[in-house]
This record gives sequence, C-alpha cells and structure tokens, in this order.
Amino acid sequence: MSQADTQTGSPNGGPPEEDVDERIREVSSLRKALVRPELGSICGAVLVFVFFFLIARDSGMFSPEGILNWSVVSAQFAIIAVGACLLMIAGEFDLSVGSMIGFSGIIIALFSVTLGYPMWLAIIIAFVVAMGIGWLNGYLVIRTGLPSFIVTLAFLYILRGLTIFIAIKTTNKTIIGGVRDAAEGDWLAAVFGGKIFKGLFVWLGDQGIISTFVAGNRAGEPVVDGIPMLIVWAIGLVIFGHILLTRTRFGNWIFAAGGDAQAARYTGVPVNRVKILMFMFTAFCATVFATCQVIEFGSAAADRGLLKEFEAIISVVIGGALLTGGYGSVVGAALGALIFGVVQQGLFFAGVESSLFRVFLGVILLLAVILNTYIRRTITGER
Amino acid sequence: MRRLIGCLLAGVFAVGSVVGLTVSAQAEGERFVLVSHAPDSDSWWNTIKNGLTLAGEHVGATVEYRNPPTGDIADMARIIEQAAASNPDGIITTLADADVLRGPIENAVAKGIPVIIINSGTPEQAADVGALMYVGQPEYDAGLAAGQRAKRDGIGSFLCVNHVVSNPVVGERCRGFADGLGVELGSSMIDSGQDPSEIKNKVKAYLAANPTTEAVLTLGPTSADPTIEALKENGMAGSLYFGTFDLGTEIVKGIKDGTIQWGIDQQPFLQAYLPVVVLANYKRYGVLPGNNINSGPGFVTKDALGKVEEFAGEYR
Amino acid sequence: MSTPLIELVDIEKHFGSVIALNGVSVSVNAGECHCLLGDNGAGKSTFIKTMAGVHQPTRGKIMLDGKQVVFSTARHAIDAGIATVYQDLAMIPLMSVTRNFWMGREPIRKVGPLRLIDFEHANQVTMDEMARMGIRLREPGQAVGTLSGGERQTVAIARSVYFGAKVLILDEPTSALGVRQTSNVLATIDKVRKKGIGVVFISHNVRHAMAVGDRFTVLNRGQTLGTAKRGEIKPEELQELMAGGQELATLEGSLGGTV
Repeated sequence: MSQADTQTGSPNGGPPEEDVDERIREVSSLRKALVRPELGSICGAVLVFVFFFLIARDSGMFSPEGILNWSVVSAQFAIIAVGACLLMIAGEFDLSVGSMIGFSGIIIALFSVTLGYPMWLAIIIAFVVAMGIGWLNGYLVIRTGLPSFIVTLAFLYILRGLTIFIAIKTTNKTIIGGVRDAAEGDWLAAVFGGKIFKGLFVWLGDQGIISTFVAGNRAGEPVVDGIPMLIVWAIGLVIFGHILLTRTRFGNWIFAAGGDAQAARYTGVPVNRVKILMFMFTAFCATVFATCQVIEFGSAAADRGLLKEFEAIISVVIGGALLTGGYGSVVGAALGALIFGVVQQGLFFAGVESSLFRVFLGVILLLAVILNTYIRRTITGER
Repeated sequence: MRRLIGCLLAGVFAVGSVVGLTVSAQAEGERFVLVSHAPDSDSWWNTIKNGLTLAGEHVGATVEYRNPPTGDIADMARIIEQAAASNPDGIITTLADADVLRGPIENAVAKGIPVIIINSGTPEQAADVGALMYVGQPEYDAGLAAGQRAKRDGIGSFLCVNHVVSNPVVGERCRGFADGLGVELGSSMIDSGQDPSEIKNKVKAYLAANPTTEAVLTLGPTSADPTIEALKENGMAGSLYFGTFDLGTEIVKGIKDGTIQWGIDQQPFLQAYLPVVVLANYKRYGVLPGNNINSGPGFVTKDALGKVEEFAGEYR
Repeated sequence: MSTPLIELVDIEKHFGSVIALNGVSVSVNAGECHCLLGDNGAGKSTFIKTMAGVHQPTRGKIMLDGKQVVFSTARHAIDAGIATVYQDLAMIPLMSVTRNFWMGREPIRKVGPLRLIDFEHANQVTMDEMARMGIRLREPGQAVGTLSGGERQTVAIARSVYFGAKVLILDEPTSALGVRQTSNVLATIDKVRKKGIGVVFISHNVRHAMAVGDRFTVLNRGQTLGTAKRGEIKPEELQELMAGGQELATLEGSLGGTV
C-alpha cells in the first residue's frame, strides 16, 4: 500500500527551496496568460470572424445594418446565456428558459392589452411572476433533491402548456397583438424597447457614413437609427454577471455551491440560498429577453422561445463552463453567444443552404468543448 | 488532443472554402431571397423550394431559401432584417404575423428593395406593409368555399386538425370552414402539434370521445398524413368525410383510395415561381402585373389526379 | 492541570433504537494532540459530529472552557472555535487556493457602492499562512486540484487555524495519503499544536497516531475503552483495544505484527 502511494503521489518532498524553483520553471508566463476559461471561446470568436470575413465580406454582413443584425441576435443569446451560465456554475440547469420566454411575453401582453393595465405594471407583474416560478424551480430542486434537469424539464412543459392555455382561454388566439400601442409613451417599455444614440446615427446618416432609406415614409432616415436596448441589456447583464462572479463574495459562493455543495456547506456557505437565487436570476434573464422581444415586435405568441434553453446552454458550454458546475466564465458565455449569433446569421449572409446551420453549430460546439476540456485539465491538474 | 483539434479546424476551413466557391460561382444575375415561416420539419415547403429553384434557373437569377429552424416568428423577423442587410434585388416573404414582421418588411421596402408577400397574410396586409403584390390563396375564403362544399355533401359537424396553432392565418381556414358549414368553431379545432405520432393519437382520441363527428379537416400534409393513419387504424377510413388543405404524396394516395374526398390545392409552386418571374421582369424591364395573384384554391378530387400524382411532393 | 478547552462528558447518542454512542468522555487541552482511535463503526464519526454541532447528544454534557454549552447547529460550534476538517470534503478542486481558503468569509473591499472581494489582501494572507505551514504555493490563483492530497489537507488546516480555531478536529486526515504526504500532514499537526490549539486526530492507524499523539482514547462499540498518555501505552496494546478482543491478536501473530 505505502509503496504504491509513494509512486503515484506528487513529488512534493525534499528541501522546500528546491521544490519551489522546480515548479516555477514549469509554467511559462505565456501559457499562464493563455490558460483561462474564456480561451476556447476567444479562439472560436476570432476563427468565426475570420471565416465570415473571407467568404461573406461583400454580402453586407459588415455593413452597419448587417452588424446590427447579428449583434441583436447575439445579444438575445447573451441575455439568456448570462443567467444560464451563473446557474450552471452554481451546479444546476434550467431547461424551462425557453418556455419562460413565451410565458412572460404572454403575461405582459395579457395584462397590458387584454386587461388594459398600464404597460409598466404589466412588465413588473411579468418579472414578479417569472421570478416566483424561478424560486419555485429552485425550491423544488433543493427540497426534493431531484436533479434540476428533471424538475425544470417538468416546468418546460408546464409553462408552455399554461402559456397556450391562458392565451386561448382569454383571447381565443395564441398570438396577442397590439402591444405596440399599449407601450406607446410608457417609461418602462422604453427601457426594454427603446434605442439609444439616435442623434449620433442620424448625424452619421446625414454625413453619408451610413446609408439612408430611399423610399417610403422613412426616406432620408439612416438604416440604423440607434443601438437597441436589447444590446444595452446584454452588455449590462454580462458586466454585472462578470463582476458578481469573479469579484464578489457571492460569486465565490456560486463557484463553491457548484464545485462541491457539501464542502461549501461545511464552511458556512448558504448553498441553498445561492442556488435558489440563481434560478430566480435565470428567470429574470428570460423575462428581460421576453420583454425586449414583445415590446420590439408588438405582439406576444405562445410559441416564442422554443428551444432557447438549449441555445443558452450551448452558448455557455462554448464559453468554457463545465456541465457539472463549479467552473466557467460569464465573459466566455457572452463570447459563446456572439459565436452562436454570428454563425447563425453569417451563414445566411454567406448564402449557405440554411439547413447546414446545425452542422456548423455542431462542429463548433464539438471544437469548443474539446479545447475547453484541454484548458480545464491544464488549469486544474485533472488527469 | 492537439492533432484532433487541428484536424477539426482543417475540416471547418475545407467546408468553408467549398461553400465560398459555390457562392461566388452563382453570383451572377439578380439575387432574390425567399423567407418562409416554416420550421425545418415542415415538408410541405419542399414544393416552394423546388419552385423557387426552378424559377431561378428559368430566369437566370440566384435564389436563396431561408426559414427559422424552429418556426419562431421572432427569429423570422431577424432573417428578414438580415436579408435586407445583404442588399438582394428582391425579397419574397410570408406574412405569418403582421405585428412582428411589419417593421422588418417596411424597412426593407424603405431601403428600396421590392418585396412580394406570398402564402400567409392577406392582400390588404401586403399592401399595408408596402409590398408590390400578394401571391397566394386567401385563407378564409378557401376555408369558406370548402365548408360550403361540405355542407352540400350533407356535413353538419367536423374536427379541424391544426398543426400550426401559432399561425393565426392558417387557423382562418378552420374558421372559414365552420362558417361555410354554418356551425360554431368552438372546440372543433385541436392543437395537434407537429409530431406525427402525437397527431395520430390526438385524432384517434378526439374521434373516440366525439363519435358523432361527421368530417375531419386537416390543414396540410403535416397533419393530414398522420390523420390518414389514424383513420386506417380505427377503421373510419373511407366512411368519415375527410378534406384537407394542400397536397402531398400521402394525400394524393388517400384521394386515390377514397380515404380523402378532396384536397384543396393552393398551388404553392406558383407562390414561389411567379414572384421570382415577376421580380426579375420588374427589375429588368420595370413591368409589373396590376393585381394580386390568387394561386388557389383548386379542389383536387379522384377524377383529376394525373399530373398531381406525377409531381406530388415535388412541384404539386 | 488547567481547564480543558473542551470536555465531553458521558455522551450518549441514540438514532432511534440504535445506540451509536453509549457514554463517551473525552477532553482536549490547549496545545495537545488527542488521538481518537477506533475501528470502522466504533462511533468515531458520530462522536466528532456531536463535538462539531452536527448532531446533538441524547444525553451527556459538553463543557467549553469549563462552562456547559449546547451546540444547536454546526455554525454554532464553528463560532465557538470548533473547526472540523473532513477527510474528503475539505476542498473544492476547481477553485483557486485563495478562493478555497476564504470560502464563506471572504474579505470585503468597498469600491464606490460595490462590495468586492479584497483579492490583494486575500492572496497575501493565503500565501503567508501556507508558507507558515511549510507549503510554498506557485501562485495563490492555482487551483486546489493541482495540489497533492496532503497539501489540500494542509490548506484546510491552515484555513481553520487562521480563522481562530481553538479546537481542530481532523477526520482521518492521513487515511488516503502516501507515506511522504502523511509525514507532511503530521508535521503540520505538530506546528498547529505548538500554537496552543487543541487537536483531535481521528484515525484507525496506530502508527500515525503514535507519531504525534499526546493522549490516546480508544472507542469501541460506542464506548470509551479508556484514555492513556503518551508513553503509558504501547502500539500493540492500542491495536488490541481497537479490535476489542482476542481475534486480532491471533491474526497479528500470524501476520508478523505488520497490521
């Protein structure tokens, strides 16, 4: 027994001074700088941009509207990926994100259009209800000890079904329109559906730096007339998530809860509270997504957000997070979302048969996960 | 590990360069983009794809078909925005949800891109968003005509198998049918989902629970094919009055063996083919037909199956 | 002799009809290493969990600095200075040494309205404390997963000591380690003891216990078989007490005294 142990144990004996020197030489500073959870997604993002720059340069993909197009799609992914990322690092999944998007949207439309409440109140109600369901998700996972995969899978169906049921029962339709009129002039709706830097873009349009509309009632206006709040929300949530995770005490608890819940409990980390709060945060992100979408498009539909939970999880995994929890990066997840959005829209720009999208996505997912596994092993000394 | 990554990278670039080549080889003549609302799983749209490709070959233009993979209309809006950003010579799109799609379509029109609405939507909505014209089958009218026909055949109640509950325009077919019969739609319409075995079982369950149902109406091959199976399994095939919208291989077989009384053909081929021809001529010579084009409805019964059978699922 | 840091008197613990502990008494003095020996199922785990506040005793009393206390929760015991290092649940391998070291008690630095972790301070303290235990870290951001088993135990011990543990309970710290790592951990225990902290060292390996122990208590079938001071008892006698009977003595004879 003792012999075998001596052989497999790490060689940390001998005089301490020598020991230290020997270890410092092992790790070059370049390698240290490179080995981060985000590395895989940084490489992926560079690769994807080079790729599309080569094959779709002249397609309008890098014109202002083209950039806006894939930025908006990436921002949508990023918003739900931030929530999914923190939750996954805390060691849990939420498969009900997509259904939650449809559900929150219908709640907003139901209260504002069908029931005639002011828009800001409808939005607040949607957030409260959604985060309440997020809490319930978390509570059930903690109480029952069941895998969150199963509990949230149940809510994937429950919420989707409820959404369709509520919509049909109250309006006889699965799409509730007229949100745009209800949102007119509402202060909170503007926070989700407005645009910023409008003046700048008008100026850019007047200077001929970006092209303008040539026909219709918007003739003369720039084709891109501002940065949508959707993108602002995405950037805000990514910064918030990144600071929360890497710089705060709570962030340390998120890592701890996902890394080893039992060990975390022994040192006094309130693991249950951390996990439940992360479920609520995921629901919050899904509702941000839903609100932006409902305000922008002016209608809510019961089938919105289909499969979005997997798109969020894929973004997070491309971003270097570990499916089993305890390891990951919000910046990585945001880059994962960027890769996802650029590939999805870029393939259209490149004129590639759209059914190939999933092939590309699969290849990128595989590449990212292989690279990430390698990086993680380097960092943590797993073998 | 590193070698594996290297191989995969090489693979991606290889695929990429091949794709890149094909794109540049096709880039001559006009470029038209067709955006549909159909999820990948909806096989009916093959006819549209084939009609589009054929039209591209005939007029010498590059054509592209795009759709949101899950059928999410919000994703479709992004695709239209993307199509507009790529500056095509024309966009052909469905108007499955006018609330969502109005903005992107109006922006494309404002950029000076001609737009033709096909399939879903109404002629009024098409004019409203600034499209050149509407090519398709007015859904409510088609449903109404079918309902009136069924009433003449002595039908008084029905089941509507709706596999695209999220698309209110398609739902209009059921509403029209009910009005044609002169009955309330009520709970006659079921949300069947897209999965064939699910649809089959839901139809069987409904008919078992409502044995007095006199007719079944399906809204496309996605719901019709499993419904045919369901009727064969519960022994109602041939005895239950069965009408369907749209055609497909199985539907044609069904009409032939008497399971289905009639199919309403909206002739999707024309919905893809004609817009390309119209847009190309509009672009080249500035000529444009003065009116919307009704591609349907046409009733296909057992007596008129020759060409339909030959090209079912391909061009019919 | 001064008052023990902690003294457990006649502890009984029943789980339903099962009597896990039936009158166990142990005391720990400042600066001593008290070894708790016993075979699997002897009640060692139940006993240390009682001491750590995880279980509440059915009967008996706990004296802290001579005053009777009741630990209603684990947190309560931790606050009273009773720290436990569990055998395999000590560390989170994917997290850095600093993050593990400070887990649950992260130092806060205010930046405007934000309350951020003071990483400069945290890293410095971690490096210093680890160095004091004889472990030179490559960098404080190094993941615990890259450390050896003995080093992980040392991080956990250093953490408890830094956060003011008066009594340190080590649950089989050496059972999964090789010879060299074991000697490192035993050396760490010695350093901790010299700081005046009372160490409770749980083991079923008599040799490891003899190496650092000041007093030895043997548990068998939920009962104390007696406490002996260093030098009053031979390893063979301890071994025999642990086995609780004759069988092992004969077995040991046939194995040539190597167990």
